[in-house]
Formats: sequence, structure tokens, C-alpha cells
Amino acid sequence: MAIDFTFTEEQEFFRQTVRDAVNRLIMPRVKELDEKEEFPWDLWKDFAGLGYLGLRHKEQYGGMETDTLMQMIFYEELARGSCGFSMSATMQILMGTYFIARFGNEEMKQRVLVPAIRGEKIGTICFTEDQSGSDLGGTRTLATKVDGGWRINGRKQWITNGPIAEFATVMTTVDPKLGLKGLNFFLVEKKTPQRDGFVPGQKLHKLGSRCSVTGELVLDNVFVPDENLLGEEVGKGVQYAGEILNEVRVMTGMNALAISKEAMEDAKQYANNRIAFGNPISKFQLIREKFAKFWAWYEASRTFLYRCAWMIQSNIPCTNECMLAKYHATEMCMVAVEEAMRIYGGNAFCSEYPVQRFWRDAKFLLYGGGTHEVLCDYLGRMYCKD
Amino acid sequence: MEIYVLVKQVPDPEAIVKVKSDLELEIENKYFTSFFDEIAVEAGLKLKEKFGGKVTVLTVDNRKVDALRRGISMGADDAVQIADPALEGSDQFAIARTLSAYLKDKPFDLILTGRQAMDDDAGIVGPAVAECLGIPHVHSIIGLEVDDQKREAKVVREVENGKEHLMCPLPALFTCQKGLNTPRIPLVMNVMKAMKTQIKKIDLASLGLSQEDVGSQAVRVKVQRYLPPPKRPSVKMIKEDFPDNVKTLVKLLREEAKVI
Repeated sequence: MAIDFTFTEEQEFFRQTVRDAVNRLIMPRVKELDEKEEFPWDLWKDFAGLGYLGLRHKEQYGGMETDTLMQMIFYEELARGSCGFSMSATMQILMGTYFIARFGNEEMKQRVLVPAIRGEKIGTICFTEDQSGSDLGGTRTLATKVDGGWRINGRKQWITNGPIAEFATVMTTVDPKLGLKGLNFFLVEKKTPQRDGFVPGQKLHKLGSRCSVTGELVLDNVFVPDENLLGEEVGKGVQYAGEILNEVRVMTGMNALAISKEAMEDAKQYANNRIAFGNPISKFQLIREKFAKFWAWYEASRTFLYRCAWMIQSNIPCTNECMLAKYHATEMCMVAVEEAMRIYGGNAFCSEYPVQRFWRDAKFLLYGGGTHEVLCDYLGRMYCKD
Repeated sequence: MEIYVLVKQVPDPEAIVKVKSDLELEIENKYFTSFFDEIAVEAGLKLKEKFGGKVTVLTVDNRKVDALRRGISMGADDAVQIADPALEGSDQFAIARTLSAYLKDKPFDLILTGRQAMDDDAGIVGPAVAECLGIPHVHSIIGLEVDDQKREAKVVREVENGKEHLMCPLPALFTCQKGLNTPRIPLVMNVMKAMKTQIKKIDLASLGLSQEDVGSQAVRVKVQRYLPPPKRPSVKMIKEDFPDNVKTLVKLLREEAKVI
């Protein structure tokens, strides 16, 4: 009897507490957040004030040091509200601060990490460029060694929180010809009159996840001191990226769980109340089948994702499992939001009903942590290997 | 100030509740702290912040302690669970007797609780505890000011067409109504603390109560039967043209729906 799928009483209590906070702070504003397409500073301040931004960081910096399972419970509940807000928050909690917490010196942590946990400084991580993203080996943002530090030149795209970021963990290469072996992370702060740094570029107008502001970061011959190299030695960036990607993928899967569940719960209400041919449409078998299929795939996805969370927490190697779980959850979510749209019929096509927002938000999940084409190519190769 | 807040874990409004048999409900495993009890916790915490002292949350529940953890996560100092197999089947009077048996020797200034629990909506336990303890109580307050020097409280409650302002000596018990405050959202730091808090568990014997005082043997209010709400009838479409459709509608509203 080694397998136990139950959450502890404490985990359930934590879930309920996060759920309540999301219900009270975010849910009443979901439509407004989507329509305004602006970063909600007031909500951010309230949310940061509760302490959730320090969920995975050490207590000495204002964090809570929760385990992976707790973090995933949090991500699942948070994403029930606004996908955009969830993206901004998880960027701050996980990717945007991970390498600073791991490799930064004490002064750097006090200057950047502590205010990030308080929500006073917004952070981000930069992988994507015009010719690289899932293909990290194609990174062209160049870090050149100079006396006392590094000069960084390049342009990063699709940067969550980019237009409002005060600091960024930037993936660079020391030589594009080295491919994956030349990669490194640097802490780069926003340019000020007193300090060299990145400059925010164009803000993107997105289909979904709209209150999370996304844009370019321009690095124009930016000087950073030696201590801003986040890592033990040059060229290990791809290895470090791998460490965080498992969590990123499972977190993305949790977002997929939340969006799909909200969409189908909403569609259920609609199907139970929409009368056609004298009956609620939920009485028709073709409509019921949509819920049955969703239910089966959702439960499978959820179990798989929490298994991955448990494996990460238990330090069990799980790169392939996390890729599979992210792929499964996100594809499940695509089907769920599409089916929810069909249940709504023509009403799905107007902004009066929330279902179109779930559909738009879900699309954003396809790309983070590797496109599905790249993931499947890799996974297929692994499966066929002798 | 020494403040005790009586809290109860109730089914979440989202939980599915079905009538399993005449005397048994099947409730989905989704619970939360009764909303009015959270208002009471908030009121207690505000007084503690002003005057100092201690807030203790107290519940009678054999299984669930989440309402106590919720109280701790909001900022309460201590949590006490009264649990005993003999309490199964207790009505509101037995619960009040149990709570007052615990409270009678405690040096409290104030007892707060929700105006009613959000499951049975009875609103009995609060006033009954005050009666058992022989202290004054005010029901459904929407305003509370305490003068700790004079040991009295000014309370406000809604009455028909207005508000009633009352002075009440302490110690007293107040039940709290929506409008008194907005319960705070717990800080995650306090949530973590609440998750690790050891809940003090008290049994009936230590309160000097016996099986005969509580549980199904002591019930004064007996549930006769649970009935599910009536199912919504199917929609009736009136297909006639104006003005016949209006006449038919009025006839149906009068004779079938009986609403006019």
C-alpha cells in the first residue's frame, strides 16, 4: 500500500484559503482585467500584501519555503481567477526570481529578491528571441567578457511582465556557434540615469491572458558586473534551465486544469439552463458526451500533474513525465474550451459570456515550457529509442 | 481583553447536498467557516488590536477543525476543539450547554459568534450560550465599540425601518451580522502557522458533562424529515398571438402558478 492519492488536511486547508482569497480578490474583477488589458497594480499590491509571492523562497528573505505540492495547489487555485494575473504572479514567484535566489549574492538578494517577494519590484525571465525560444541553442543575445564584467547585446521577445519589469534574468550566449553549450543567465536591471540596464521595448496586444503585460526587452551594449552571472561557471545555462523547466511545465499544466475546469463548470450551468426542443440541452446525449470526455481527461491530467509535483518534491528525475503531463493537460484544456464554446453555440461568440475568454486564455498555455511540436518531437524520439 | 469566538465549519455553498433518506443528508466534502463566524473573528481581532489581550476560537466538532485553523490564520491566538463521540446527534441546545461548560470558568470579557450558522440557519447557539452563562447578549450586531475602562460596549443592530443603539455591560455575548466588518483575507504567513498549530482537544468528561447531557439522548429539537426542494417544472411556451397570449398568461399565473 505505497500509493496514496489523498491530500492532507493541511493541504486541503491551504487550498481552501487560496481559493477564498482568489474568490474575494480576483473573481469579481476577471472581466474588467481582461477588457482593460492593463497590469492591475492595485490588485498586485493587495495580493503581494498577503505574502504569496514568497511562496517558494527562504524565510530569511520574507518567503514561506513551501514544498512543491503546496506551490502546485496554489497555482491551480490562482489560475481559476484571471489567467493573465496568474501568469504575472507565477513569473514573479517562480521563473523571475529562481536564479537570483539560487545564485545571487547576499547584496543582490537584499536589493532584488526581498522587494520582489514584497511585490515592490517586478521581475521576469527572458528566453525568447525572434529566432529562438523552444530552440534555446539558437539564442543570439551575446554576452562578451570585458574588464570587471560583461557587455550584453540583444533583443528579447514575448517577455511576461517585460514592460513593467525592474529586473530580468536574461539568457545569453558567449558564442552563438556553441549552441546549447554557450548559454548563461545574467541578472540585468532596468536602465536608470545611475545604472546601465535593459530598456523595455514594444508592448504586445495579445489574444488572451491580457492583464499580464508582455513585450520586448532591448539590451544595447549593457554592462553588468561579474557577480551578475547567475551560475557557478560559464556555459551551464542550459543545465540550469532544465532544473526549472520541470516546475514550469507542471505549473503550466495546473493553469490548464484550472481554465478547463472553470470553462466546463460554466458550460455545465449554461447547458442545464439553456432550453432547446423543450429540454435543457444537458439532456441531449451529444452534449453529455462532451462533459463525460472532459471529465475523463481532466481527472487523468490532474492525477498525472500531481504525480509529477510529487516526483519533483521527492527529487525523482522526471523530465519526460513533466513534459508529458504538460502536453496532456494543455491539449486537454484546448479540447475543453473548444467544447465549452460549442455548448454555448452562437452565444460563445460574444463577450457577454465568459466562455470566449477561457478559449482565448487557454491558447497562451500552448507555448510556455516548449511548444507541443518540440515536446512531442523529443518525447517521440525518447519513446522510440532502443 | 479576553475574547472567545465561537466558530462552526459548515458545508460550502458550492457543495452538493442531497437528501439521502428521511433523516440523512449526503453532503459533498467541501466545507468552509460559516461566514458570520468570520465576521465575529474579525470583530474580536479588531478589539485585540486596539486593547491588547487574546482571541481564542472555539468549536464543537468531532471531525473538522478547519474553522479553528481559519481563525488562527486570520490572527487568533489560540484554538480549542471540543470533541467527543457522545456529541454525535446533538442539537443546538446541547452544543450551547457544551460550550458554556467550557467557558464558565474562563476569565472572558466578551464572547462573539455569528448571528447564525450558514447550514441550519437556526441562530440558537449564541443566545443559548449567553443564557447558560447568565450574561447579557445582543443578537445581530452591525456596530461595536468597547470602553474597556467602564467595561461596557456600545452596540448597534438593525431593526425594522432603522437602527437600535444599545449599551451593554461586559462580560457579554454578541452575535455578529453582515455589515459589522469585512473579514480580512489571511496572510500566507499566518496560513502556514495555522497549518502547523496544534489544536487543543477537550472531551466531555473534562467539562463535567455526561452522555445524558448531550447527543441524541438530550435533543429538544428533533428533525422529522428532510425534503429536497421541488424540481423546477418544464417551461410552458404560449404560442398564441397577442392579445390571446396575454389572456392565457394571466390565466396560468392565476390558476396554475397561483402568484396573482
